[in-house]
Amino acid sequence: MEYKATIGIEIHCELKTKSGMFSGAPNEFGLEANAGTCAIDLAMPGTLPELNEEGVRKAIQACTAFHLTLDPLVRFDRKNYFYSDLAKGFQITQQFHPLGRDGYLMIDTPEGKKKVRINRIHMEEDTAKQFHMNDKTLMDFNRSGVPLIEIVSEPDMTTGQEAEAYVEALRQTLYYIGASDAKMEEGSMRCDVNISLAPAGADHLGTKNEIKNINSISNVGKAIDFEIARQKAIYEAGGTIEQETRRFDDKINETVLMRKKEGIVDYKYFPEPNIPPIRLSAEWIKDIQDNMPELPDEKRVRYAEEYGLSSHDIGILIANKEMAEFFEKTMTLSENAKGVCNWLLSDISGWLNKNGQAVDSSALTPEHLAAFIGLIDEGRISSKQAKELLDDLMTGKDPVQAAKDRGLEQVSDAGAIEAIVAQVLDANPQAIADFAAGKNKAVGFLVGQVMKASAGKANPAIVNGLIQEMLKKRIS
Amino acid sequence: MIKEIRENRETAAEVCRKAYADTQALQPKLNAVITFIDPEEQLANLPAEGLLRGVPVAVKDNCCTKGILTTAGSAILRDFVPPYDSTIVENLKKEGAVMICKTSMDELAMGGANTTAFTGPVHNPWDENRIPGGSSGGSVALVAAGVVPMAIGSDTGDSIRKPAAWCGVIGVKPTYGLISRYGCVPYASSLDTLGVITRSVEDACIALQAVAGRDSRDMTSADVEIPDYLASLNSDMHGKKLAVLGNVMDGLLNDNVRKVFNGIVEKLKERGAQVDVVYFDQKIMRAVLPAYYAIANAEASSNNADLDGMRFGVREPGETTEDIMMNTRTKNFNKMIRRRFTIGAFALDGENQEKIFRKAKKVRRLICEEINGCLEEYDAILAPTDGDIAPRFDDPGADPLSDYNLVTGGHLDLENFNGSPSMSVPMGFDQGCPLGISISAKPFDEITMFNVAKAVEEITGLKGLTAEVK
Repeated sequence: MEYKATIGIEIHCELKTKSGMFSGAPNEFGLEANAGTCAIDLAMPGTLPELNEEGVRKAIQACTAFHLTLDPLVRFDRKNYFYSDLAKGFQITQQFHPLGRDGYLMIDTPEGKKKVRINRIHMEEDTAKQFHMNDKTLMDFNRSGVPLIEIVSEPDMTTGQEAEAYVEALRQTLYYIGASDAKMEEGSMRCDVNISLAPAGADHLGTKNEIKNINSISNVGKAIDFEIARQKAIYEAGGTIEQETRRFDDKINETVLMRKKEGIVDYKYFPEPNIPPIRLSAEWIKDIQDNMPELPDEKRVRYAEEYGLSSHDIGILIANKEMAEFFEKTMTLSENAKGVCNWLLSDISGWLNKNGQAVDSSALTPEHLAAFIGLIDEGRISSKQAKELLDDLMTGKDPVQAAKDRGLEQVSDAGAIEAIVAQVLDANPQAIADFAAGKNKAVGFLVGQVMKASAGKANPAIVNGLIQEMLKKRIS
Repeated sequence: MIKEIRENRETAAEVCRKAYADTQALQPKLNAVITFIDPEEQLANLPAEGLLRGVPVAVKDNCCTKGILTTAGSAILRDFVPPYDSTIVENLKKEGAVMICKTSMDELAMGGANTTAFTGPVHNPWDENRIPGGSSGGSVALVAAGVVPMAIGSDTGDSIRKPAAWCGVIGVKPTYGLISRYGCVPYASSLDTLGVITRSVEDACIALQAVAGRDSRDMTSADVEIPDYLASLNSDMHGKKLAVLGNVMDGLLNDNVRKVFNGIVEKLKERGAQVDVVYFDQKIMRAVLPAYYAIANAEASSNNADLDGMRFGVREPGETTEDIMMNTRTKNFNKMIRRRFTIGAFALDGENQEKIFRKAKKVRRLICEEINGCLEEYDAILAPTDGDIAPRFDDPGADPLSDYNLVTGGHLDLENFNGSPSMSVPMGFDQGCPLGISISAKPFDEITMFNVAKAVEEITGLKGLTAEVK
């Protein structure tokens, strides 16, 4: 029997701001525990929230990137519950009036482009981080009050692959617009999946299950694939799906039960009385929207038009924002987009991976890369020689100087090559005879001999041309 | 009094030391203080200038004071020493005030008698068998007893004005947003208003000017210029249109209160004011107190959720974090607080929110329309602050559903609902105990409120009224 999965995704994404959503505490990953908090985020009695304008700006950018309709009257609500990681005993969020509604995102699927609708994006604040030890729980309040947006999709996805594509597209865009680091491994982007499975063609949805704490994009797909298989097996064994909250255990690649459905928790939402409704000016919103950084999709189109790159190459280049930026900088100095792109995506990426470096923090500069590609394009070094120069290039040496230092530079001076060709021809009368007899193979042999005599430095293209020319002279 | 102390620079230290000593001497009788603050360090570091330079002040214990115990009258915060000053305390320091103590208050400012502080009840300086009123009872009692010229209080429903009336002092609840709430342990955020308590209208003007002003740390803080209230003071009542709230008068049971009040109204007319009796919809007036409790308790139940024994609050043991929170809150809040939190959470609960909390907010909007409409026509609204003198500790209280309780006793919530400035000024006596008159004006029109208060003060001659504590 065929089954159809219906998948919706909720993403919590930390905004890249200098300080908290409602406080002046620094918003920085990796600080010593509790060194980056303040009276407000510790919920000291009497403290009040102070809305972070930068947080609102980044959230507006996110809404704009995903085509949501903005609500210019910003309102916040309280979500009340007691939990040890929630300092105030309530979270400030936007339950009743989210900042943005009704947007979408285009994803790539094997069947082509697909639109995934976004129901809402709202602003809220993060909770503290807990570290459960044997009989103790340690608290780090640095994360308490960090600005978050929650992005809620419509249940428009049907496979793990689509869900992965959705999360990746979201991640990429949020990262490109600078709204978030969007690092799932550091927890700055967190993903909860809602999934229900029903027999194909059924007029109702299956029972909804939630998978929490998925910590990487590939695990989104794995968790969903596992969950589809699990629920299918239950159906086929004649069982019923229970409403559960599960989590993905990446050690065993399975979802495991966290809790069965409990009574609906009542969060006693009510409007936050300490933050009066704020009317955003149309000019302010327009200014943010007019100055949006280029979105990945816009880049894709431009790279194809401007640089003529293949969509495959564009995809890989854009998947890494720093790589794309490096490519663009290099292209202000080079004409050879394909060459720059190929080197970046193959040998340079390989070298960076091997050495655990990132392109923007490595010693490689766009100037050096452009010069390096120039050396190849001008025939001053062969691609084989270029590979020998890679270490120098990647450790910050000027490739032109490095080629000289290593004695790699190709001899392209026709006069010098001509002298070597003449010597080689003199030494190989048989090859001349072969050529005269119509055996073109002789040319290849002679080129090899010239290259050998020049210790590989002669430009093979010039050598080839000269040999043809001089052979013709000798046999005429 | 403030002006004299400020201007006699050489005697300021002496005045503060005397205030400190007198307050300590009164403690066994009034029990008005939770924490004493030795003034010497402050005296050694007085700013060169300041509206309150060298003036001893008492501060309600819900205002956070850096390095000084701040309990808000609750056992749960009995060891809370804030690492920061509330904005109002910062402003007091900037203007050179010398804090000599943190005053007793009803637990978490929830109460009207000042009998629920974990340090025990505060006594009325006029009669030790009577309550001072709350929740700013400690601050009001010290000003009434004459040991400090001014004190800081907070008013969510009537918590400055009613005790001020019962202790014979001036109690000012300014416009919501005029004084920053940053650092004030909250009761109900949409109603909480800090204010000042003095013994003269002039002092109230200076005190309010000193502590008011825009503060970016409080998003509900108003972006308005603070005028020199004292320089604007003018008791000429010609051309003033004053409204007397008929609903409150009709609910009076004590004829002497009516007589004293009407006597003042006559004098205001003689001074040129036009005074009319106006009526608000009685149905709405009877809903004021219930709506107030629904909104205030709901906000309070959420505002004080940080007091769970995890980070704040003296922690009681328990097997799980949930147990710890439950035990801490059960053991360290008094019964009244637990009841209010329960009612508040009930009002917010999904099933009840529409018919309790949101309905109360609708009532609030209707009430605001009534009062705002009246203030469009009139410069100020007058009423007896309360229907009677301060009750005895053993007073069983009025019938809770009577007009006397709901309207005559509950009308002060009106100004918390619409944010209007409102103050109580001594108007006379009954059985040797003081009575107050309440004066309210349009939001941010403190000047008109002070002008009417000044006229009342001149009529009664009760400027500087002080209780002699026996």
